[in-house]
Amino acid sequence: MTTDVSAISAAALSPNASSGDARSQHRSFRLGDALLGLVCRGSAAIIALMLGALVLVLLTSAMPAIKQFGLGFLVSSEWRVNELERPVKDAAGHVVMEEGEVVMETIKPAFGALPVIYGTAVSSLIALVVAVPLSLGAALFLVRVAPTLRLAGPLSFLIEFLAAIPSLAYGIWGLFVLAPFLQSRVGPAIQATLENVPGLRWLFYETVTIAGKAVERPIPITGRDMLCGSLVLAIMILPIVTSVSRDVLKAVPRTQIEGTLALGATWWQSCVAMLRYGRSGLFGAVMLGLARAAGETMAITMVIGNNNQINPSPFAPAQTMASLLANEFAEASEGLHQASLLYVALVLLVMSLLFNIIARRLVVGRASPAGH
Amino acid sequence: MSIIQRAAWVSAVGISIVVGASSVHAGEVRLGGAGATFPAPLYTKWVAEYEKVEPGVKIDYRSIGSGGGVKAITDKTVAFGASDAPLTKKEIEALGGEDKIVQFPAVIGGVVPAYNVPGLSQPLNFSGDVLADIFMGKISSWDDPRLQELNSGVNLPKLAITPAFRTDGSGTTHVFTSYLATQSPSFKGEVGAGKQVKWPLGQGGKGNEGVAAVIQQTAGSIGYIEQNYAVANKIAYGAVRNKAGKFILATPETMSIAGEGAAATLKGTVLRADIWDQPGDKTYPISAFTYIILHKDLSNLKTDAEAKALVGFLTWATGSGQKFATDMDYAPLSSGVKIAVDNALATLTHNGKPLK
Repeated sequence: MTTDVSAISAAALSPNASSGDARSQHRSFRLGDALLGLVCRGSAAIIALMLGALVLVLLTSAMPAIKQFGLGFLVSSEWRVNELERPVKDAAGHVVMEEGEVVMETIKPAFGALPVIYGTAVSSLIALVVAVPLSLGAALFLVRVAPTLRLAGPLSFLIEFLAAIPSLAYGIWGLFVLAPFLQSRVGPAIQATLENVPGLRWLFYETVTIAGKAVERPIPITGRDMLCGSLVLAIMILPIVTSVSRDVLKAVPRTQIEGTLALGATWWQSCVAMLRYGRSGLFGAVMLGLARAAGETMAITMVIGNNNQINPSPFAPAQTMASLLANEFAEASEGLHQASLLYVALVLLVMSLLFNIIARRLVVGRASPAGH
Repeated sequence: MSIIQRAAWVSAVGISIVVGASSVHAGEVRLGGAGATFPAPLYTKWVAEYEKVEPGVKIDYRSIGSGGGVKAITDKTVAFGASDAPLTKKEIEALGGEDKIVQFPAVIGGVVPAYNVPGLSQPLNFSGDVLADIFMGKISSWDDPRLQELNSGVNLPKLAITPAFRTDGSGTTHVFTSYLATQSPSFKGEVGAGKQVKWPLGQGGKGNEGVAAVIQQTAGSIGYIEQNYAVANKIAYGAVRNKAGKFILATPETMSIAGEGAAATLKGTVLRADIWDQPGDKTYPISAFTYIILHKDLSNLKTDAEAKALVGFLTWATGSGQKFATDMDYAPLSSGVKIAVDNALATLTHNGKPLK
């Protein structure tokens, strides 16, 4: 693509290409050229400006929270919007009395993003672990097997069709089909198998602090938890990882594949060689999937249970950065709460940008030389 | 994303008013209101019914949330704002102080403990301290002795309790947590009261519908939702022990009685009363007013006709309009409360001129 456009534009703009007769014609085109150039530059500038403005607006509106919490925001796990008023207790745990009255203290609201950063990271990682092998398999099939069966067209269409389904539809499916299935079948089956395996108790029990005491209680299996959220994410990132991987594998030169076969590689070995040749491009595909998983909002909000907590069990409800914003932003009061939510948005934006930059470098950096 | 949405709504309301004012047909008045989502179905019904009474008055109510309603009336982009929680001191200052505002209850709602426990034939009984301990995780199974004590004769199953809560800021959470804070000192100290609190455990859902989805799908769950939402969606909910020690189910009557108990304290133009945990044998204890907020001088409206139409609508809504409240499972204002509302409405002026 890139080469075609640059070749055309080079031919069109080269002054040497125009003969004497064509010169007057060429001149009359100049106004149009200049206009087109201006429009194109302007459009490109607007895209850059929009991103800049987005970062700027997020920065300024998150400033109160950034000033208040600094980077500690990223590692603090308390997210409490309301003020607490409670009796002051002394070292021995007795209520402090002064002139016959209980001394009260007011505890200010606190905001920390660690639970949602944890939720985003873990749900995205589980989604990748599930989706990447499937995607690579599907991509290999599309490139190596499907063309001989005349299936490449219809299958590619189906995969792109999956990508076009609104995320809400995945969410509703997750809520009404996957979650009840996980709750009634998968969860209990896993629990029955693993509950008595030593070292796996954390999967099914949580420790809650009740009135200052740590109490162990079973985690109710509800189906709307980290596991369900991750599985829905996995399905949602399948199409993008598959289609980018397919393009990367397609770009592997025929000579490479023929070379491996000529050296006596089996079909399997030649596929492995193909994956190895495209590995940085494939890694880029994975990063794109990761970016999509981390930013996914509506579907995950419906199935992850929405509890700002860090619980290692996949059967416990969790919260991601995007679902936190979806849940709380509309009714957030102005001030620190809103600023903290925007701080979370800023972290999410920076993270997604990083994933995308890495992915682009890997995909573009590898795939295009192969295309030349 | 939502800040833009909210801004768009508010400006849309603003524009609709500007446009409305400029394109008034002869004798037609257009008014805009915005705010709380909880009473929105009733307000929409009122608007439709009032058009039959006064065909010339067109009112447009947008349910953008209580916070949005307070902001819209502060910015004067609407004729009236609506909020589940009464104005805070800060919000009153932003509106120009107590003597520049009229705030009054429009209708009463109740919050109910709704649950999904298979095999029950009658509503369960709860008390405030038991509810607090359930939502704090101290009571974690339905066959807990303290629940059994309140429900003698009921065969409660051995089933883990999953509390369900609202993840968005809401008047519902405000009412429920404020009530629990009066019932349990440890709830007050550890969870506290507010439009949004940090729940120690359980499943979160956005809006009444989000909590309802958790309850309907999860055996053993318990959540708090608006009484009329529970009725409309046929979700089982329990009775709550009131101050007099009686177990009362939320109905329009029992919630209305809670409002009447507070009638004597409603004085002036900024009316507010917390009506949870009111005395009385038949009082439902988790009830609350939802409010309408106006500028005392309706200079945010252009013409006298608009101001008069607004007062006419609000007087009708808090009077004869209350019968629609009962139909839709809200609780109507009692006569004592209505007198206080009428007194507050009588103080409204338009550019300094009284309207009544």
